[in-house]
Amino acid sequence: MKILVCLKQVPHKDARLELAPDGKWISDANIKFEINDYDNYALEEALRAKDKDPATEVVVVTVGPDRVQQSLRTALGMGADRAVQVWDDGLAGADSLTIAKTVAAVAKAEKADLVLMGLMSDDTNYSLTGPMLAALLGVPHATGIVSAKVDGGQVEVERELEGGALEVVKLPLPCLLTAQTGMNEVRYASLKGIMQAKKKPLDKKSLADVGLSAGAVAPKTKIEKIYTPPKGAGAEILSGSKDEVAQKFVGKVKELGLL
Amino acid sequence: MAKTLIVAEIQKGALRESTLELVTLARKLGGEVVSLVIGSGVGGVAEDLAKKGGGKVLLADDGSLANYNLDGWTRAIGKAVESEKPELILISNTPIGWDIAGALAARLDCGIVSDVIRIEPDGGELVFVRRMFNAKFDARLRVSGTPRIATVQPGAAEAYTGSDSGSVAKLDGVGGDVRTKFVEIRVAPAGGHDLTKAEIIVSGGRGLQKPENFDAVLKPLVEALGAQMGASRPVVDAGWLPHEYQVGSSGQIVSPKLYVAVGISGAIQHLVGMKSSNFIIAINKDADAPIFEVADVGIVGDLFEIVPALVGAVKAAKGS
Repeated sequence: MKILVCLKQVPHKDARLELAPDGKWISDANIKFEINDYDNYALEEALRAKDKDPATEVVVVTVGPDRVQQSLRTALGMGADRAVQVWDDGLAGADSLTIAKTVAAVAKAEKADLVLMGLMSDDTNYSLTGPMLAALLGVPHATGIVSAKVDGGQVEVERELEGGALEVVKLPLPCLLTAQTGMNEVRYASLKGIMQAKKKPLDKKSLADVGLSAGAVAPKTKIEKIYTPPKGAGAEILSGSKDEVAQKFVGKVKELGLL
Repeated sequence: MAKTLIVAEIQKGALRESTLELVTLARKLGGEVVSLVIGSGVGGVAEDLAKKGGGKVLLADDGSLANYNLDGWTRAIGKAVESEKPELILISNTPIGWDIAGALAARLDCGIVSDVIRIEPDGGELVFVRRMFNAKFDARLRVSGTPRIATVQPGAAEAYTGSDSGSVAKLDGVGGDVRTKFVEIRVAPAGGHDLTKAEIIVSGGRGLQKPENFDAVLKPLVEALGAQMGASRPVVDAGWLPHEYQVGSSGQIVSPKLYVAVGISGAIQHLVGMKSSNFIIAINKDADAPIFEVADVGIVGDLFEIVPALVGAVKAAKGS
């Protein structure tokens, strides 16, 4: 079986984010990046399939500038077999459909049995690329899954709904699944894995290499600006020493009649 | 705006509240409103939506649409788009919405903005406003070409309460093969930790750093206040606490008299689960954390210093 895992590199959870001068994105200078958390669960699921059947090939793909190679190497260190990076200046300002069309060009050539990726990314929180990619590949998909059992030519998944409910559906392979967080326990790359990762193939491709032009993937959705949300009424911030703050806290709880 | 198509959702046999919120948004934009009701034996729901501002309601009614499925819904929405040629398609940002909306945009090769909280007309154009970076920033987006799709966060608008009467028209050709087979809905066992009736909830997040700190740092505050313990999603995902402790859109929706959020930054999914609490106190070292936007009272600082001080003060107050 061949599994394609789509990764996105996003700012590190603890990065202090600041606006870029043009106000259309964050400044990516001086911040650390990491693999999008949701995608880690998708990758782990693929690696578990490979643990069960070593004949399984796991290919990771991402669209992004050269800094993403570090995340691809991390994925290779965790056990993926090879990586594909697509980047081109024509991809700056890409929307979800641009990314989906670009990844679809790679995925069509790879002919994977299963495509896995995260439900959404921690930067834009769009949750669109997975279903778009599935539609472009002409395969069915399921989103926000917390378990997947491949059995012969089909996969049974549990999709997370609201309020703790799960929907169980069966899909034929090939198909695409997007992972919800908590789906499994994500492994770390071992030192041995990291050493081996340096020798694993990482192919960098341009748009032309995957048979596309910038015009063919021109974004239809554009960010006009991003900004810090206007502070609403906001919280009354308690100030003073920790003991003064604690007394004020007690005062509030008393006012509520709860103490 | 000339024409908006609303994709309705049904929950427990009735219109979902979020669908009536879409009606409000669509009507505010002016122009014609068309709605689509998908299901099996759901003519009554279509009639209901026609009475509640849904305008011309298209009814996609077929045995194969009894449960949500990607192929059936895509086919039904595709038929509605083909016949009505809407300029804007509104879908709720729910588990159905995020399953279907992206696929629809790819099929129609059109622009889309997901999880919108506001739509602002700007001349002849529309500006879509949404949160990004886990609610740290807001974003304004524009979409070129039509149709365009927006999925809308439930609660972004008030449900429409007018009683304008519309019509119902049956949509043909909506049955057919589906590749994804529905098996069942599993509802997690309620568990012994029901937070929905708790008077006071003290919830911990990733800021507590390790599972042991829930016992060492958070539990004394929970006990001093006579509260119940809750948690944010990352804590449950990491296996520090079982799922029944999770507060949020995919966990428990709570509305206690007092909600104390400790070391929780306030991702949108968590806020959805606790924002209707009567009084919210947030403790976080990051003064810009989104949790302070919904909190009534904030304490900015190191929870490992503050929480023990709170425990001491609460115990002293109880003793006096």
